[in-house]
Amino acid sequence: MKRAEVFACVYVRDFPAQALLRLRPELRMKPCVVMAGEPPLEEVWALTEAAHRLGMTAGMTKAEVETYPGITVLRRSPGEESLARAALLDCAGGFSPRVEECSEPATFRCVIDITGTQALFGQPTTLIETIRARMSALGVEASIAASGNFHASLALAKGLKRGDTKYVPCGKEAQALGALPLAVLDLPHEQAETFGLWGIRSLEALAALPEKELTSRMGQAGRRLRQYAWGEAPHLFRPIEPQLSLAERMELENPVDVLDPLLFLANAMLEQITLRASARALALASVSITFGLEGGGSHTRTVCPALPSNDRPLWVKLLHLDIEANPPMASVVAVSIEAEPGATSKVQLGLFSPQMPEASRLDVTLARLRNLVGDGNVGRIVLDDTHRADGFRVEPFVMSTSKATEAEAAAFCTMRQLRPAEPIFVTLQAGRPVAFTFREQRYLVTRAYGPWRTSGEWWSVTRWKCEQWDIDAQTREAAALYCRLERDGQRWQMAALYD
Amino acid sequence: MTEYVELHAASAFSFLQGASQPEALIERAVALEMPSLALLDHNGVYGSARFHTSAKRNSVRAHIGAEVSVSTLGARLTPPAWLPHRHKPEPARLPLLCESRQGYQNLCQLVTRFKMREATKGPGAATEDDLADYAEGLVCLTGGDEGPLAAALAQGGESEGRATVERLVRIFGRDSVFVELQRHQDRGEEARNQSAIRIARSLGLPVLATNGVRHATEYDREVLDLFTAIRSGVELNQAGRLLSANSARHLRPAHEMAAIFRDVPTAVVATVDLSARLRFELDDLGYVFPCYPVPEGETMDSFLAKRVAEGVERRYGPKRNRGLDEKAKKQVSHELSLIARLGFAGYFLIVWDIVQYCKRNDILVQGRGSAANSAVCYCLEITAVDPVEMELLFERFLSESRNEWPDIDLDLPSEDKREQAIQYVYQRYGELGAAMTANVISYRGKSAARETGKALGFDEDTLGRLSCLVSNWEWRGKNDTMAHSFKYAGFDLEHPRIAKYLELSMRIQDLPRHLGQHSGGMVICQGHLNHVVPLERASMPGRTVVQWDKEDCADMGIIKVDLLGLGMMAVIKDCLELIPQHYGDKPDLAQLPQEDKVYRTLQRSDTVGMFQVESRAQMASLPRNNPTKFYDLVVQVAIIRPGPIVGQMMHPYMRRRQGKEPITYAHSSLIPVLQRTLGVPLFQEQLLRMAMVVANFTGAEADELRRAVGMRRSWERMKTLEGRLRAGMTANGIDTKTQEEIIQQISSFALYGFPESHAASFALIAYASAYFKVEYLAAFTCAILNNQPMGFYSPAVLVKDAQRHGLRVKPIDVQRSDWPCTIEHDGAVLSVRMGLGYAKGLRKFTAEALVAERERGPFRSVEDLVQRVRLEKKELVRLAGVGALNSIEGVEHRRDALWQVERAGKLEGPLLRQNSEWLLEDSEIQPLVQMDTHERLVADYAGTGLTTGRHPMHYRRAELRKQGILTAEDLKLVPNGARVFSAGCVIARQRPGTAKGFIFISMEDETGIANVIVTPDLYEQYRVTVTRARFLFVAGVLQNQDGVIHIKAQHLAPLADGALAVTSHDFH
Repeated sequence: MKRAEVFACVYVRDFPAQALLRLRPELRMKPCVVMAGEPPLEEVWALTEAAHRLGMTAGMTKAEVETYPGITVLRRSPGEESLARAALLDCAGGFSPRVEECSEPATFRCVIDITGTQALFGQPTTLIETIRARMSALGVEASIAASGNFHASLALAKGLKRGDTKYVPCGKEAQALGALPLAVLDLPHEQAETFGLWGIRSLEALAALPEKELTSRMGQAGRRLRQYAWGEAPHLFRPIEPQLSLAERMELENPVDVLDPLLFLANAMLEQITLRASARALALASVSITFGLEGGGSHTRTVCPALPSNDRPLWVKLLHLDIEANPPMASVVAVSIEAEPGATSKVQLGLFSPQMPEASRLDVTLARLRNLVGDGNVGRIVLDDTHRADGFRVEPFVMSTSKATEAEAAAFCTMRQLRPAEPIFVTLQAGRPVAFTFREQRYLVTRAYGPWRTSGEWWSVTRWKCEQWDIDAQTREAAALYCRLERDGQRWQMAALYD
Repeated sequence: MTEYVELHAASAFSFLQGASQPEALIERAVALEMPSLALLDHNGVYGSARFHTSAKRNSVRAHIGAEVSVSTLGARLTPPAWLPHRHKPEPARLPLLCESRQGYQNLCQLVTRFKMREATKGPGAATEDDLADYAEGLVCLTGGDEGPLAAALAQGGESEGRATVERLVRIFGRDSVFVELQRHQDRGEEARNQSAIRIARSLGLPVLATNGVRHATEYDREVLDLFTAIRSGVELNQAGRLLSANSARHLRPAHEMAAIFRDVPTAVVATVDLSARLRFELDDLGYVFPCYPVPEGETMDSFLAKRVAEGVERRYGPKRNRGLDEKAKKQVSHELSLIARLGFAGYFLIVWDIVQYCKRNDILVQGRGSAANSAVCYCLEITAVDPVEMELLFERFLSESRNEWPDIDLDLPSEDKREQAIQYVYQRYGELGAAMTANVISYRGKSAARETGKALGFDEDTLGRLSCLVSNWEWRGKNDTMAHSFKYAGFDLEHPRIAKYLELSMRIQDLPRHLGQHSGGMVICQGHLNHVVPLERASMPGRTVVQWDKEDCADMGIIKVDLLGLGMMAVIKDCLELIPQHYGDKPDLAQLPQEDKVYRTLQRSDTVGMFQVESRAQMASLPRNNPTKFYDLVVQVAIIRPGPIVGQMMHPYMRRRQGKEPITYAHSSLIPVLQRTLGVPLFQEQLLRMAMVVANFTGAEADELRRAVGMRRSWERMKTLEGRLRAGMTANGIDTKTQEEIIQQISSFALYGFPESHAASFALIAYASAYFKVEYLAAFTCAILNNQPMGFYSPAVLVKDAQRHGLRVKPIDVQRSDWPCTIEHDGAVLSVRMGLGYAKGLRKFTAEALVAERERGPFRSVEDLVQRVRLEKKELVRLAGVGALNSIEGVEHRRDALWQVERAGKLEGPLLRQNSEWLLEDSEIQPLVQMDTHERLVADYAGTGLTTGRHPMHYRRAELRKQGILTAEDLKLVPNGARVFSAGCVIARQRPGTAKGFIFISMEDETGIANVIVTPDLYEQYRVTVTRARFLFVAGVLQNQDGVIHIKAQHLAPLADGALAVTSHDFH
């Protein structure tokens, strides 16, 4: 005989707030709101009970929040939410191996299949109380409902007050659900509107609708909703898989200042990680190494080659080059490595394609170059759509399949931009340069063209302004210099030299 | 001293390509002491009228021209292909300046030709052939970056550039081509300039310096960039090279231009020489109004005289008053002789012709405005008020000295009938002979905030939230600034990006965005209108518009006929059809009886739905004015206006009317002039008569005085006229003190006075609407419900008001309702049946199909309805929800209908349906519970915007009574000064410009309407309640003065409304 199933649903309201307050117990009883969105347009995303009591609601703007005195405003933290989520799932997993997560944007929700756990944890009533207490100890107030039906426990939990628990024995679901409003079912707008017009506001009223007639009106969706109301809707349980964790951490007994032993450790950790990844037919797409530093603080570096790889020596080489270029500022007391998985790379070049350096060797070469010239200085130059004279950016190299467009052969002369521009001393007459000193050499201006003026981005803090002169100058010894001067207020700079 | 004239400037009338108003350019020119300035907007002369008017006022010479897109002169310069940019290909633009009237007419024709070549509204472009046809009298510049020379140089270097200039020389002649040099501190431009100088030298052409101005001051470059982003549909951050490279394209002083062009001084000198050569200015338009074709042997004057003589017989014959008849003939002959002297016969005949067309085609038409002062207009049936009987002053309409065309506005029923009249004018005067005046769409609070926000990269949600909050009240308090709206929308004004957003939104206020068409203003021209102003296609098919708006046309002396849509005309027209049909009476609009019953209703302020007298302010003054005859209504219409209220005429008149103040006159000679208005000057005509009586002014002089007082800037003229006025009064023996008093009266009210004739025309319609409402309530209610939206109140209020007056209004019923509301007979009693048109979301053609199908027999069941009429499910649900299916057999109540339509909406295929026994539902039980009264109310308001059942407040009365909350009817019995509680459904909120920030709320309950006054301080305290609450609780002090009842609110609170979607009319 099949044993009667029992499901316990854990429902955490205002999850973003609860996740943050988990580690800030002093704020839990106070009015707090969690805001999210791009400043200055943030909105309230979750609130504490005390904030609810003041009449605050989700969706309020910053200015609206400011009208309430004594409110603590916190920023939403996906990191802390993810940690809290993991902790809650871990807690749930402690009671049953079968846990299904069905969270919504601002709530955490999971259902635990507690069938057959009676011998271990006692009656369901006791069990759900235990789960609630365990979660409360984690700093999260959850509402928990258990029943013989998956969906019934979801609806029941949503209908509970924060921190309440309820157990509905098998077969009594319909009765328990009856008084709940339709809103606990998360109906699509259209169905909610139809039920509104019909005057159906509770699950009891929905359950009372004749099945055949309802199905002929709303199709299978209607039938299913009616099953929800009766607490009879079937559900295929989809337990979450244990998370693949591509992370390793190691605390060091003594602070380390030298790179080699650290790389040795990294090598060992990467071995573990690549093993786990390969077991799932995955490769590492990026690896972040974080050094815990003496005296607090940390130093994180991430390397990300063109293609995912499980080639450990390559990773160690890339990390080596990167850390060499960006060493930690203090002795290292802990090392942790986290990797992002990616698909194993299999690039088959054409049978008759010319031999090319392996992708991994190119990555190493690029890393070496980056090491030499600094991050953001390796790649290809792309011109920006701007009037700004130095409007360009460096983009990573990409393999392009399209043919390169031919640039117009219109270069009349070559200009060498001085980076950075060199300050010079300029003598003016009627606002125009007549002489200047550059690299300890005095020049007399023969001809000055300009000023050429550009300005832009006046709408933002990055507003800029530029005044340039093209100069034809000579030294006393008649050595000619064709150059470009730039003026910023009273400051003059040599910006470029013409060949 | 160096002189320089900017000959290439564009204003914001180059729509989103220029950043300054024409007036701002002139203002800057005045500041720079620039003697002349040329305006060249893109593809038109949109801003030229305002530019010219402003220039005249400031003694600057305004040269007119345009930058014309020419498709055959190459593509406008864009950054080279190897640079990333978002420029779209566009034809080069040729700057053209008008040297003579011939040149201006050619420019207008040129623009009209290529604009009208387009099938729809669009920018269009000329060809070189077009240029060749219309080159005479135009001076051509080679343009800056946007011009053909720059395009050619980029395309093929100097040789191509020279060839292009040579082509221009062939078209415009050697003397009329100037090689233009612009210097905006840009390397590329300078390289082109050097080529241009060489080309000019080689061809022996003069060079001309301009600055290609796009904004008046350097700072305005920001607005130009913003406009560029809006025009290109990109955010500023992404606009890149589309934006200006620097801020150099502003109006520069002569010394700066001289310094910039120090190497080519002739280029600057040439600007002054060319400016002197450009003789044309806009006051030399050469506009001629069209002649009216008359039969052989007739002149327009003789033909007009005959039509007027016939009119005298028709109008005055039935009155059987010999004295009046004689007076009318005398007046008509006086008017006709003036019309003949001024040569205006054609105009009167054309308007007469339009009126005749309307009458022939069953279109109700009535003239408004000062035309009602003219006996000729009355006899031609253009107007309906008898100016002779009412002793109206003709000189207000037409005077010899005015040098201005008369202005006749015709009111027509809105929509189809008006369009019919407009199309008649097009057809009669041809495509190039008549056009609509333009309507310049300018940036206002909401549009400015929305488009600026978009350009600055704010998301839609945020912009939507802000748009809801930007205040639209007419009166703005210190907290009604845009800054406050931003703050309420949740913006942090400290943030630099938000601060810039706010600043830009405010700076673009009132700048033109695009051109629309005026709703009814038409201009007609002798010969070709396209010689006077360019015409272009309107977005509405079959319509053309001129490039100037109504005011511009008036400023330029172009005559217009306004064919205006007036909702109440349509109501009256419908009443005239419904009344004979359902009551058996045939009312004659021209001879409506003056009924005491109607005046008593007006005295009680029982005026919901009546034309011009239904607003809150009108209602508040009606009991005081206590109208007993038609003239009282004329005064009533005129006095509740911002003008008379600000001019402080309203209160003295009302006090005298109520006998609270003695009726006095500044001088006994004024008694005949001011007697009708109890010694208080109210009408513009009275000002004219006062001047005529006390200082012996002629009618024309008096009208000049009125206009001088009206124009604030003409102090000089006013002083001269005042001198003459004083001299005249002294000659008539009026003492100095009285003279002061009279002058004070004239100057204070001339600004605000209302034309008596206009008030009389409107009063006629107001009386007609009152008469129909009082005598034929069912017809009036039916007609007004069928012509919504119009007036001050929503259909919900109109229905409730009709019900309070004893009319039965029945709900929508698919078995009985037509698309419009109809009248039904229940024995001898008439009732109104709501039309299917009131079911929100029901498509007209489906409703009409339903009505047609019903002709074949009533619907036997919901299934029958669904099978016979192709209704969408949501339409069926809507009809079921508002109870429109309740009379179908087998439908018990609305929920039953909703249950049935949900099934009926999902039909099986025809094959299954034939054998669908097994599909039959086995349950006969009706599973849904009937709606309760509240649910029915919610469904009614959500589905039709009104309820024909009881007022929502009725259902709460018992509970409210217990709390001591009074009804609108109860308030009438409460003594003045008592503290009261009241509550109701908000039907209107108003914050008039004249009321110093006070807000007036009209609240309706089942017994009537109560008025609430909210002080500015209280508004600040209860801002959300005042603007948002649908049902309101008010505690305050009752003011009951002269039968006018208000509650002066001290406390406000929203009354829980259970999601009733009641809307109020909020007035700006």
